Amino acid sequence: MKRNIRANFIWLFIMVFGFVAIDAMEFTGIVNTFMENAFVTVGINIILAMGLNLIIGFTGQFSLGHAGFMAIGAYATGIMLQTMDSPIGFWLSVAVGVVIAIIAAIIIGVPTLRLRGDYLAIATMGASEIIRVVINNLKITNGPAGLFNIPQYATWPVVYVVMCITIIMIANFVHSRAGRAVMSVREDDIAAEAMGINTTKWKLAAFVFGAATAAVGGSLHASYIQTISPSEFGIMNSIAILIIVVLGGAGSLTGTVVAAVVLGIIDTVLQNFGTLRMVIYALALILLMVFKPGGLLGRWELSFKHVGKKGARAE
Amino acid sequence: MTHLLQVDHVTQQFGGLKAVSDVSMTVDAGELIALIGPNGAGKTTLFNMLTGVNTPTSGTITFTTAKGTMKVNGKRADQVAAAGMSRTFQNIRLFSDLTVLDNVRIAMTHRTRENFAETMLRLPSFYKKEQAITDEAKALLKDFGLERIGRSIAGELPYGEQRRVEIVRALATKPSLLFLDEPAAGMNPEETAALMALIKKIQADYDVTVILIEHDMALVMNLVQRIYVLDHGSLIAEGTPSEIRNNAEVVASYLGGAPVAEG
Repeated sequence: MKRNIRANFIWLFIMVFGFVAIDAMEFTGIVNTFMENAFVTVGINIILAMGLNLIIGFTGQFSLGHAGFMAIGAYATGIMLQTMDSPIGFWLSVAVGVVIAIIAAIIIGVPTLRLRGDYLAIATMGASEIIRVVINNLKITNGPAGLFNIPQYATWPVVYVVMCITIIMIANFVHSRAGRAVMSVREDDIAAEAMGINTTKWKLAAFVFGAATAAVGGSLHASYIQTISPSEFGIMNSIAILIIVVLGGAGSLTGTVVAAVVLGIIDTVLQNFGTLRMVIYALALILLMVFKPGGLLGRWELSFKHVGKKGARAE
Repeated sequence: MTHLLQVDHVTQQFGGLKAVSDVSMTVDAGELIALIGPNGAGKTTLFNMLTGVNTPTSGTITFTTAKGTMKVNGKRADQVAAAGMSRTFQNIRLFSDLTVLDNVRIAMTHRTRENFAETMLRLPSFYKKEQAITDEAKALLKDFGLERIGRSIAGELPYGEQRRVEIVRALATKPSLLFLDEPAAGMNPEETAALMALIKKIQADYDVTVILIEHDMALVMNLVQRIYVLDHGSLIAEGTPSEIRNNAEVVASYLGGAPVAEG
């Protein structure tokens, strides 16, 4: 019990420290607009990839539909802020995006989560395309042209705090009865059922949770970038998030954070290389997959549970 | 008197193949029963029906415990498991990338309740519940001498230990009826002897009725009280070990000419 409280305080300290550090850099002018942009992109990518890691890495359900749920959040915010231009309107739009994404995830998940592996990937990819095509053809979403001049409420502190809350929520989900249940589905769904685990229910729970975080990421993206169009939420976007998950290690939350940061740095550094950037980026990915196929961290997690306990690592 | 498990004329048809046809059996609380028969006789198919993995084509299965009566047909395997039936698998199905402790704790999922708010906010009640199931899992492992491998990854254990962990995991669901699908497969004589002791211990200490599929006749004849013999999907005999040993049809179809030595 004491150990848990201590570990939680260390995490809290790290998160507050990160905030203060960025704030100080921002204040002293070390961080310019370009770098701030990179920070926020990394933060949003972490939120998106956390949700996808829950679905792919922990529950073992190969979903390629993350961009669709992201689009739902982005458009909920984009549309609602046109008439409710206030911070309350922004948070309300995040909530609405989450609710719509949850409903969509249930509608998509109930039939498709019976499928396995490749079949599930294709079905979720199709579902995500349906969302995109619907957005492309609606009047309220302004069709293919998309939405412009969305008010900017998602500044970097907002993104940072939401990112921390997302990490805490996903980590708490994973390290609980729920997390063990979804991992048992990943390991062996037949054995899980024989041990009294309602596999359909837990698969859906993880899928819905992941979709909700994608919607939150989409909302932040829309309000930070201030411009959205349906073409941004295609299959390539789902794959970009998938790359973060696989690179960091499917099944490691720490890995997702590390991968998002590393890719953010690579992206920023390579900005000066022009078109060569994508070649170097791809090469780095290939090398990593050849030498560390389980991802940067595999399934390793950073933990402070044993800090301050001398010697014995046993629980 | 109501039986713990009552199976009435169940049939399982896969396309044109009748894997199990018109099997009826009863199991009473506290019994130790073996299901034997040649390979392909439908033993595992019958297990799968009884535990809710497959739904029988026809016939009914009724499961009665202190908690009430349940019709197994049409129920999902997890509902059947929650009602008090648990099992092991012919080819071990542990959650092999997880620790032994987590394997056991997962089997307690259906009888722990952690709500969303306390999980997300890490309320004291959450830690209390986690501690309670962890303690219970550890006590269970300790009772079977597995406490030192609690932190080991299940898939990396030696075969015999994996078998034992699978049985302990099945017990963690608090079953009243336990199905063991070829528990002694691939074991040497010493391991088999240890397994027999383990099964007796489970029966005595955990108040569990056991049904097992087994090809090791020495184990079956010495351990169980009653035997059902299945051949080509049909029940061909039922009785005590000595009755089965002298049943002409069973000897012809399965046991072979020579009588089985008592060991």
